[in-house]
Amino acid sequence: MYGGGNTFESAKFEGLENEDPQKLAEFEARIERGEKIEPNDWMPQMYKKQLIRMIEQHAHSEIIGALPEGTWITRAPGFKRKLALMAKVQDEVGHAQLLYSAAETLGKSREQMIDDLIEGKSKYSNIFNYPAFTWADSCFISWLVDAGAIVNQLANARGSYGPYCRALDRICAEESFHLKYGHHCVIHMATGTPKQRQMMQEAIDRWWGPMMHFFGPPDKVSVHTEVLMKWKVKMASNDECRNQFLDMYVPKIWELGFTIPDPNLKKNPETKKWEYTEPDWDEFKRVINGDGPCNAERLAVRRVAEERGKWVRQALLTPKTKYVTPLA
Amino acid sequence: MESLDPRVNRLDLKGFQGNLTRKAPLDQFGTFEVFIQMKEGKPYQHEGIVHAPNEEMAFIFAKEQFSRRSTCSGLFVVETRNVFVTDFTEGEDTIYNYISDEFPKEGDKEEYEFFHLMKRGKQHQHVGSVEARTPQEALALAKPAFINEKPVFNAWVVKTSDILFTSEEDKHIWDTLPEKKFRDASDYKASDKIKAFKERNAG
Ligand SMILES: [Fe+2]
Ligand SMILES: [Fe+2]
Repeated sequence: MYGGGNTFESAKFEGLENEDPQKLAEFEARIERGEKIEPNDWMPQMYKKQLIRMIEQHAHSEIIGALPEGTWITRAPGFKRKLALMAKVQDEVGHAQLLYSAAETLGKSREQMIDDLIEGKSKYSNIFNYPAFTWADSCFISWLVDAGAIVNQLANARGSYGPYCRALDRICAEESFHLKYGHHCVIHMATGTPKQRQMMQEAIDRWWGPMMHFFGPPDKVSVHTEVLMKWKVKMASNDECRNQFLDMYVPKIWELGFTIPDPNLKKNPETKKWEYTEPDWDEFKRVINGDGPCNAERLAVRRVAEERGKWVRQALLTPKTKYVTPLA
Repeated sequence: MESLDPRVNRLDLKGFQGNLTRKAPLDQFGTFEVFIQMKEGKPYQHEGIVHAPNEEMAFIFAKEQFSRRSTCSGLFVVETRNVFVTDFTEGEDTIYNYISDEFPKEGDKEEYEFFHLMKRGKQHQHVGSVEARTPQEALALAKPAFINEKPVFNAWVVKTSDILFTSEEDKHIWDTLPEKKFRDASDYKASDKIKAFKERNAG
């Protein structure tokens, strides 16, 4: 998972006028030619700041995203499902490590990022502030939240920053397993007993709102998109990503005989775009600012892990190795 | 706070008296660059980094992070600060145009491994090793072999003794990879089930 476009807070956009105009022009020409920017290349401060923020929030989302699904490992139905879910959750934590490393090439250390997360200074994908009540919620996340994440990540993988793109290529390859596994789980529920079908339908009803929030506010209220698009930091708008998700997955949900809790949801045959009821954006703002059902628990779990794991970390620290910025 | 997760409830979050302070800037594990060989005979390629307190732990983390799937026949880890990095070039310009033939001549000869970047946006690949007293001398010695070849945009030079390699007897750690089908998308086929479901509903 879970690069979330403008779901995430963007850095303050200023100071571009202080950049060397010739270097800026060369930088933009390089991106225009389709070349990647590497850690040692000149880059505007805003580009660096924005990328650190974005990659860091993406990394946190992987870590926090492992929690609602991790909950279900011990209670997953049967050995095969436990094995698969464990492998998926391990992948997600691995994604976080790949992403932290990519952000580190820009000069912010992993521990600084983790401190910012547990101190509540950093954002992560809002959808993980909602609880996974039943096994069916876990199935919804594995299939559809990951599907949404893949839409974002495939877009971002065409971006301009080399280390981020390489991390995303690796991540996207693993996501294909998550998607298939998640779909497999949902199909099993759909073709099972009436009780299983009902559980799955209830999970879809619970998660539809957060899923629509997932891609961030509508384009008309998003900011700074233009220069971020030019620098290939942002590769597709929030509405484009949302539309692509609906286009790929609504038919697959309907095919299994489930309903989606939005009477206005339909594809406009002329514009070929999906129409829907705007989700509750006030709720989105409230939850992302800390007042969701699980925000406190998610951060508390990370804090406890940090505090209770401290002695292990300190026992292992040796002066023989030293932290330096990774190379690529 | 009552969680839906029994494990979280067992953590006793309510009774937790946190006493967390921000870590000092260097209060963290070192960084190690990781190289993987997918199959015998293929070059080792840079795959990313891990954080670890020492080489052995770095090796274990690297194995877990970069060789969970597919195939793997070898792994290198080296601490980032032990990598000598040249300048970068572009276009048709190779870094070997900038390698001086003047280099310090003290010390004993040791083996150095070379990793070349041949394409912007891609990863460094292992190309071989030379014996020299310093990384600068190693580059000067390698220069004749590479200066008239395809341009090299950047090179990493590492003392062989600073690298932790997979030993022959360790290689069995990847023997079970083909059995781990549960990590692959191909293990989750369900189109027959959907088809049967649709037919049942139509009929
Ligand atoms: Fe992920
Ligand atoms: Fe995933």
